This record gives sequence, C-alpha cells and structure tokens, in this order.
Amino acid sequence: MNKNRNRFLYSTVPSLIAILAGLVFGAILMLIVCLMDKNITLGGFWDGARLLIIGFLSKGRDELGNLMFGYNGTHLGNMLFKATPLIMTGLSVAAAFKAGLFNIGAPGQYLMGLTASIVIALAIPSASVPAGLILVLALLGGMVAGAVWGMIPGALKAYLNVNEVITCILTNWIAANLSTLIFEGSAFINNTEPGKSGFLYKTAANGVELPKALLDKVFPGSQVNSGIIIAVILAVIMYFVISKSICGFEMRLCGSNREAARYCGINENANIIMSMAIAGALAGIGAALYTLSGNTEFAWSTYQKLPQVGFNGIPVALLGCLNPIGVIFTGMFMSALEINGQQIANLTAYNEYITSIIIGVIVYLSAFTKYIRGVMMHRRKKGGTKK
Amino acid sequence: MDNMHDHAVEMLHIDKAFNDQKVLDDITFQLERGEIHALLGENGSGKTTLMRILFGIFKADAGEIKRDGATVEINNANDATALKIGMVHQHFELVEVYTALENIVLGAEDTRHGFLRKDLARKKLEGLISNYGLAVDLDEKIENLNVGARQRVEILKMLYRDNDVLIFDEPTAVLTPGETEELLQIMRNLKAEGKSIIFISHKLNELLAVSDRITVIRKGKYIGTVRAADTDEQTLSEMMVGRSVQLEVVKTRSNPGEPVLEVKHLVCASAFSEKNAVNDVSFRVRAGEIVSIAGISGNGQTELIYALTGLLPVKSGQILLCGQDVTESTVRKKSENLSHIPEDRQKHGVVMEFNLADNMILRRYRQDRYQKAGMVKKDAIREYAAGIIEANDVLCTGGVDSVMAGMSGGNQQKAVIGRELDMDRPLIIAMYPTRGVDVGAIEHIHKRLVQERDNGKAVLIASAELSEVMKLADRILVMHEGEIAGRLDPEKTTYEEIGLYMAGAKKDEKEDEWYE
Repeated sequence: MNKNRNRFLYSTVPSLIAILAGLVFGAILMLIVCLMDKNITLGGFWDGARLLIIGFLSKGRDELGNLMFGYNGTHLGNMLFKATPLIMTGLSVAAAFKAGLFNIGAPGQYLMGLTASIVIALAIPSASVPAGLILVLALLGGMVAGAVWGMIPGALKAYLNVNEVITCILTNWIAANLSTLIFEGSAFINNTEPGKSGFLYKTAANGVELPKALLDKVFPGSQVNSGIIIAVILAVIMYFVISKSICGFEMRLCGSNREAARYCGINENANIIMSMAIAGALAGIGAALYTLSGNTEFAWSTYQKLPQVGFNGIPVALLGCLNPIGVIFTGMFMSALEINGQQIANLTAYNEYITSIIIGVIVYLSAFTKYIRGVMMHRRKKGGTKK
Repeated sequence: MDNMHDHAVEMLHIDKAFNDQKVLDDITFQLERGEIHALLGENGSGKTTLMRILFGIFKADAGEIKRDGATVEINNANDATALKIGMVHQHFELVEVYTALENIVLGAEDTRHGFLRKDLARKKLEGLISNYGLAVDLDEKIENLNVGARQRVEILKMLYRDNDVLIFDEPTAVLTPGETEELLQIMRNLKAEGKSIIFISHKLNELLAVSDRITVIRKGKYIGTVRAADTDEQTLSEMMVGRSVQLEVVKTRSNPGEPVLEVKHLVCASAFSEKNAVNDVSFRVRAGEIVSIAGISGNGQTELIYALTGLLPVKSGQILLCGQDVTESTVRKKSENLSHIPEDRQKHGVVMEFNLADNMILRRYRQDRYQKAGMVKKDAIREYAAGIIEANDVLCTGGVDSVMAGMSGGNQQKAVIGRELDMDRPLIIAMYPTRGVDVGAIEHIHKRLVQERDNGKAVLIASAELSEVMKLADRILVMHEGEIAGRLDPEKTTYEEIGLYMAGAKKDEKEDEWYE
C-alpha cells in the first residue's frame, strides 16, 4: 500500500509543483504589470489574481463592481468542451512517449483529422444519408487520417532510422499546406454569410453534430457535448491498453529497450509504426470531436500556422505524467486556464496576453517534472530511512 | 596513534539501510597507504554501496570515514575528488567523440582567457604515461580506442587529478586475458609509486595475484580481512559464500543423442568490414552434450550466436533446429525451440526501467497462463517471477517490484539465466554465462547447465574464459577470424593448445565431416 502511495506522490507532486510555480510566476508578473501600469490599481491586481485561479467560477461583477463567484455553467461547459481536443492530443503524445517516441507531430495529425472529418461531414448530403451515420463516418475518417499521418514518421523511423522529431515537424507543415490546398476554392467555404469566406461551413449546416447528451442542461449556454464523454472513455481505454494489455506491454518494451524487444521476438519496426498510428489516431479523433460539435468554425487557410492544441498536447501529457487518467485532469486544467484568461481580459484592465504568458510558463515548467521527481527521489535516497 | 596515520582511508562501523532493509551492517574497512586492498563479496553483498558511500553518492546512516587519520564528511563526488579519491567505474564514463586528452582534462581544465591550455596537460600526461606504462594515444578519439585503452584513459583521468586513493570497480570484467595481465602490472606500478588501491573483482586468481590484503563482506556484514599470501581460492570462496564451494565442475561423460542444432556452411556479413564475420561455419550440437565455443572476443562468436537466435540475418548456409530449417525464421519462431542467455544482458537480456516481474515474463507474456484476451494477468506474472527469484537465489530488496536498474549486475545475470533455463527448450545457447557474477553464483550456473545437459538438452556456450570452457565443455570449437580453427576434446587438449588456435597460430584443415 505504502509503495502505491509513494508512486502516486512521486508522479503527482512534481506536476503540482510545476503548476503552482507557473501560477505564482503569473501572479508576480501581474503584480509587476500592476505597479507599472497606472490604469491598474492594487484592487485590480487582486481581482486578476483571483480570476487567474478560479476565473471559470466567475459570475461577472455586481452593482458595486465587486467580482462574484459561483457556479457558472457556461464557463464550466466551455472548459469541458475545450478540454476535449486537448485530452486527445495529450493522449496522443503520452502514448507515443510510452513507446519511446516524441510525437511532436500531433498538430499535423490533428489537422489531417480535422480536414478528413469536415470533408466527410459536409460532402455527404444528410438528405440522402442519415446524419448519425455521417457522424460516425466523419469520426472514423478523422481517426484514420490522423493514424495515416502518424504512420509516416513512424515508418521513416522504423525503416530508415530518421529521427521522428524531424519528420514530425516536416509532416506538420505538409499537413498545413495540404489542408489549405484541399479547401481552397472548394464548396465547403462559407460564402453565404457575409465576411465568413475565411471559414468553412459548420458541420451543423449539414445536420451533422455530436449529441448533447443532456450536458447542455447541466451546463446551460455552453458548447459542451458528448465529445468530452467520448474523450474520457478513450482515456480510460488507453490507460488499460498501455498499462494492462499485451499491446501496451510491447509498446513500453520497445520504448524502453528496442534491442531487448527484438530479443523477445517483437517486430520492433512494426511496433514503432503501430505506436505512431495509435498516437496519430488519437489526435485525429480529437480534431473530429472538436469540429463535429457542429458549432465550431474552421479557418481553412492554415498553411502558415499549425493548431496550437496539437502542441499543447505535449505539456498536457507531461503534466499528466504520461498517464492517460492524469491527462484527463491536465487537459481540463489547461482549458480552465484559457477560460480564466478570457475572464481576466473581460473583467479587468489586464489583456489576455498575460494568460498566454502564464500558460507558456507552465508549458515550460512541465518539462521539469521529471527533474523535480529526480530531486525528490534523490533526497529520499540520501536521507535513507527515517524512523 | 602513529599507527592510525598509516591508513589512507578508514571506514569505521558503517551502517546503511534502504527501505528499512539493512544493506551494510557495521562494516569496517581500512586501507593502508601504499597497499592494494581487495574487496570481495557476492553480488549484492554491499561492496558497491560501500564504495558509493566513500564516493559521496550515498550517505551512511551511521559510522565514520577517516582520511589520513582525520574524520571527513563526504557529501558528494566533488568532496571525494577534493580528498583525492578517484574511481574507475565498471562502465566507463567517457565522451566518445572527444580525444583521450580532452576526456582526461574534462572538468579539471587549465585555461587561459577561456581557452584550453592543452600543452600543460599534455606535458603532465606524458610524464604519467611513461611513469606508469599506461600506453594511450592522447589525440585519438575515444570511439576509436579499444576497451583496454579506454580503461587506461580512465586511470589517467584519476592520476591527472593527483588522486592517491584509487578505486577499481570490477575492472577486469571487460578485458581479455592479455589486457588483464597488463592492468595488473599497471596496478603494481601505481602501488610502487605510493598510491593506495581498492580493487573490486570476482576473479579470485587476480585478487590473489595482485593484492596485499583482502577484506571479505557477506550480505552486508564484515567477515574478515586476510593477507593474500596466507590464503587461497578455496578459503576465500568459503568466507564469501559462507559454505564450502565447489570450484570444480562435477560431471560425468556426456552421452549425446540426436542432433538438436545443425549448422551448415553458415556465412554472416560483418557490420564493420567487407570480410564476413562468420565464414563457412559448420557444426552440430546434440542432445545431452555441451559444446563450447572458445575464442578471443571479436572473432565472430557474437555474430554466430545472433544468427542462430535470429537477431542477425544469415547471408548463406543453413540452420536446422530440431530437424526444421529455421535459417530465415523470426526470433519468435526460433525461440520456440531455444533459449538464449545473451552476451550483453543490459542490451538484450533485461529492460532496465522495468521491474523484476516484467523482466521475468519477457519471454512468456503471450502464453495463455499470463494473459487473457490480450490483457496481462498481473498476479500470475508476479507469482511466476517470485518463483524464478526464489529458485535462483536472486538478491533484490524489493522482491518482484525491484527495478532492474537498481540491482547488481550479478543478480541481473542470475535472473536472466533463471528465466531462460526455465523456458525448457531443447537447445540452450549461453554467451558469457558467468560474466560479472561471483563464485557462489558461478557454481550455481555451472551446475544448472550441466544439469540441463544431463536432462537431455543440447547446450551451446560461448565464453572468453578458457577455464570455464575447459570445465564445462564436452567438445570445444575454437573460432578465429570467423572460422572454426579447431575442434578439440577438452580431455585431450591443453590451455596452451587452445591458446594457439585462438591466436590463429594453429589451424586445422576443414574436415569432410562438417558437423563434428
């Protein structure tokens, strides 16, 4: 029992330290900005600092101008909605990490998943095919497109021993251009609403959207839908796959020691490709779940930028200790920070960039979780057993 | 009181526990100035922990460390260096792409205006090289140096820092017999110059040849200190293991049955050169016999074993296993009929980050007993691993949860051997089966291999230790430059004759009978 508790502490405490350090840094930064900016009073700083931590519980200001906090279904629902793709890209990065691969290609896999699911959701007319079937096809299409995009760096790594980080970065940009190429001049562009030609139609235009599953009742006024439930279920499944299944055992074996995997009779090349396909599929599903909410608009001209949610999968996975269950919580935490940032920008004189900086710092510190864990273990070892 | 000052290092009444398990219990170790003092103990007896305490990597729970008679506090490796204590680690700590000179000065560079002053270092090192007979080309990159030369670089690193207490942690485990002889001579030179040396090794003949005194510890307890001149291998092994040890292998004449492994005209390409690593090798191993491959390492033994087990592709020739042609078969297919104790256990044999339970199941996790519908059965695996640990006397503080990386090399090896022999396959391939393990474990491993032979298994062993080859083998094949240079009967041959074949000075004509 003691052992399990220790393992739990060693994995969660470093992440909490990283998060806490990021928040403290954010608060200090806000204080400095407050002291330098005449428009921000100390009271404004106090409001900002509170919103930084519990902005998703904000209910605006009362008549006296004081902040009100309490249950806010819109914020909480949107937090869950935005957490959905983050959890999926986090799972993608974590699964690849377990197999010894650094999947920095999640943005590309996400983009390919997004492209495939939008094309399927919009191209098949819901007049002739049931919308439910289109939805399932679009989900599967997103998954397959992501998987294929993940397999490319996997295959290059397996057969030509090209570092997957390099090929992932290259395939990211190929995806960004490919997606633009597919949509440019296509019938999917929203030319009916004025000023919307930079976006594609919402999939709801074709009647394709994920069911709300009563979540709209619990979180009124938010975009949340059954996507978050699917993401959580997939995270639980990934937990069992990675730590309890033969497939996961082989992935971890390949990740820890490729030569030993060969010695055990595992086809390590096939395993690497499979691991990257799984990682890509998870990112692709994340994109599909996000876009099939029916309410999101995709700015199709992506050739100059990659989706941030793909990169944010890396800190989500690291802060979650590469544990799929941990990823559920860190995904939600990261999206909560985003909501908090919006609240700070809406309700105080700070602008939203301050949260971008804080998120950046937490992302940066997430890379130190392993180091913090090392320090903790070392201290314990040095001290020996204390009675 | 004067007497005290003759000690370069004293470790008095040292206690250390990990997770409530005592690994050192009141250990006292005294190193006189200018002596070679060997530290002997079974794998996992606490030698390495004791040295790590001296080196500041761990902190003792109780006890006192004295340097030249004065009590000192060693909290990290820098403290140890400041006290002029240096260590040659079992696994070298060198930067492959740097030259020998750069590696030696690394961390103790003489600089002027931020630039390296190599001339000063070179002068000092050339003096050291000629003083101690440590031949090293200072401008050669480490990656181009052989193991013996790399070790000399490590020794120079210590001397360059003016260390006068030198710890050698199993330095001969990686050396060929010739290189070992050279190293022992270097140690004698160092001693003659007044250096004090702590020598850790499992090879009793080396300890006896070079040390002045030997301290034996067993399961974390101090057993005694003896003068090398007053003792012998038998006494030492008994002190170490705590019971009488059979250094000789007892076995009857082999009674070979049907051939299990037949290798015909096998050729394997070399990763390093145009020449084939294995060139037209033919032999067979029959049920109930031990065939041993002798040879200086690097003469094709590794590639031969890899080809047999499926880790390396075959260029031409044929491998028959239990009558089936498995030349092109996968590792998994081949391992249905063979078990393999690999040459490099940390590379192939174990996964360092995994715990013992997962390591013990590496070859069996797909069997129905240990999985159900693709999910591993944790309890069955733990139970199985516990059985292997028990049967093979693997020492591990955390039971089946012990992480491999935290276990001593010898215990890792015992675990691997336990796992492989438990597979119950008709052919057992063992490469360097006793590398880095203590005499007690060697006895156990040899006994198990002979036992397997008597149970009708075919056993193929590759070993760099001639004495092991002579003790175990029913037939000896000597490899030289990828070919079988000689086929010998251990009862009729001598060490000298095998040595001639190994060196390539003697070679038999190819026989028509390819397999014998």
